[in-house]
Amino acid sequence: MADEEKRLEEVILTRLVRLNAKIQGVVVGLIAGIGLFVATNWLVLKGGKAVGRHLSLLGQFFIGYSVTFSGSLLGFAYAFVCGYIIGYSVARIYNWIADLKEGKS
Amino acid sequence: MDSNRVVVIGGGPAGLTAAYQLAKLGRPATVLEKHHIVGGLARTEDYKGFGFDIGGHRFFTKVEEVNRMWQEVLGEDFLRRPRLSRIYYNRRFFYYPLRPVNALIGLGLWKSLLIVLSYLKWQIFPHPREETFEQWVTNRFGRRLFQTFFKTYTEKVWGIPCSELRAEWAAQRIRGLSLKTALLSMFLKPNRTIKTLIDEFHYPRLGPGMMWERVKSEIERSHGTVKLNSEVVSIQREGDFLRRIVVSNRGHQEIVEGSAFISSIPIGEFLKKLDPPPPPRALDAAEGLRYRDLLVVCLILGRPRLFPDNWIYVHEPEVRVGRIQNYKNWSPAMVPDSSKTSLGLEYFCTRGDDLWRMSDTELLEQGKRELARIGLAREEDVEDGCVLRIPYAYPVYDAGYRANLALVREFVEGLKNFQTIGRNGLHRYNNQDHAMLTGMMAARNLVFGERNDLWSVNTDQEYHEEALIDGKALEEAFSRIFLKLDRTAFGVAAGLVSGVLLFLVTLGVVIKGGDLIGPTLQLLRYYFPGYTVSPAGSVIGLLYGLITGFIGGWLFAFLRNAAMFLYLTRSYRKAQRGLLRRFFDYT
Repeated sequence: MADEEKRLEEVILTRLVRLNAKIQGVVVGLIAGIGLFVATNWLVLKGGKAVGRHLSLLGQFFIGYSVTFSGSLLGFAYAFVCGYIIGYSVARIYNWIADLKEGKS
Repeated sequence: MDSNRVVVIGGGPAGLTAAYQLAKLGRPATVLEKHHIVGGLARTEDYKGFGFDIGGHRFFTKVEEVNRMWQEVLGEDFLRRPRLSRIYYNRRFFYYPLRPVNALIGLGLWKSLLIVLSYLKWQIFPHPREETFEQWVTNRFGRRLFQTFFKTYTEKVWGIPCSELRAEWAAQRIRGLSLKTALLSMFLKPNRTIKTLIDEFHYPRLGPGMMWERVKSEIERSHGTVKLNSEVVSIQREGDFLRRIVVSNRGHQEIVEGSAFISSIPIGEFLKKLDPPPPPRALDAAEGLRYRDLLVVCLILGRPRLFPDNWIYVHEPEVRVGRIQNYKNWSPAMVPDSSKTSLGLEYFCTRGDDLWRMSDTELLEQGKRELARIGLAREEDVEDGCVLRIPYAYPVYDAGYRANLALVREFVEGLKNFQTIGRNGLHRYNNQDHAMLTGMMAARNLVFGERNDLWSVNTDQEYHEEALIDGKALEEAFSRIFLKLDRTAFGVAAGLVSGVLLFLVTLGVVIKGGDLIGPTLQLLRYYFPGYTVSPAGSVIGLLYGLITGFIGGWLFAFLRNAAMFLYLTRSYRKAQRGLLRRFFDYT
């Protein structure tokens, strides 16, 4: 038991965590997607003369995106994909470097 | 006598459980018990119809097979009883486990404030090394709380100053003070049944002895033998094999032969009885194993009700009694006359010391006086009483015990047809349930040829809050959650992704072209001097993205690790405090 404790402490204090790339991709994707969905609809509900002048500039990168309810759905999809790619890439690169540091590859 | 029989030395929980299991598996055994009743340290002594439990045995376990055996043997006589215990200190009673408001009222505002200040002081300036029990508790609770609630009782129990008691003892005894428990406590709420069992416990209607008398009957019904008043005189061996035991039964000597032997008597005593004797270094080590003994002053009082507790911890240094059991509150059936109450005043001592040498009459008088002094009863309320002397009640974890035990164990493990079990057989501060578990394992080793390590069964095993979780799976799970995030690796990863992203976005806008290229993206130049939405600017953007992404990622990993460390430390401390609140349950 004492050995088990010690081993657990050693593991926690010395080893590096590995990230699950797919999960991190989904998490970042969801955060980005929901963020853009909420931000778009917030401006839509707020209304006014020119709805979401600045946010609509995203349409330059996300083709078809506009500050409307249907645009928020499309924006969710775009942002999710972008977020997924970013989260997934960060995790894969991180894991690769962590492996190098721990001498596993 | 059947020379192929299993011989069990000691009719306590461990020995009887082993014999009971053997009988169930079709290998009846002969149990040798030196007392006139079975149960060992968990026997119930009878005095004029009143039952006296030695030490108070709560039947509480997380070992399912032990629980099954209790239920199986006791059936409807296995009562569920409410628990109330308090600490008596400075002429006041404090609920135990400690309740903050009750403690605050009992100690007074000024003393409570001093305790808090002392706690803060020792949190900021702890003992750099935790070698003694005193340092260990002070670092976690502060010196004032240590002196108030820990010092006197612990010293009464162990008979040595807390400054000489090793920190290791506390760490071993309070099993739950581990990283594993702390981590578990973050995810697992103590389930309701376990929580309830801390406030309640099971107890045989007529005390723990009832359990062991029934087990004895079951053993005998299955063709086993339980020989009472049978004290082992010598254990004869031939090389690495035990062959026969010379037993003295009321002056008559008898030889008991067997093919396999299990013993729960103090391991040091076992070695001393071997013939031929073991090597001198093993014998010397056996001599070095120390025990704490117990005196129970049993009193019968002519009052129907004295106090509501099952037991009271007496921390008051002015009296020598350490704990007081109120047997009627354990089970009403322990007292044959409902107009009377029976108490057990426990005095922790060492054979040969002044307490042990006192006569029964002196001890009874002292008990009466101290009871009156505490204010639980008047001297004249005591109508009758007797004294129980219990040697080898607690194995002592002193500075030399580990080395001595290792030598003893080395010799004992060389005996081919022998297993040692139970609290004193293993010199482990096991409770009844774990003692029983060693008996069960020994029986399985014998019948099925299993290789259960009896020395590893102890209070480290599953207990109060801890759930049954496979160690490897746990380690695997923890290693996925709590490991460090490498700052550099995460910084580089975040930097690379940010840099490439900015590079691609800039280049995309440049390729798209138009009258005014990327007016909004251009705004980044306020933060990234020299950046423009142009092919050259995309390369500069790549560099800026790399740098800022690295800084952001590095900081994120640093803060995440720091937060995780603080969270772990806090949870660990919280788990420690929670367990220390119930410290005396383990003592």
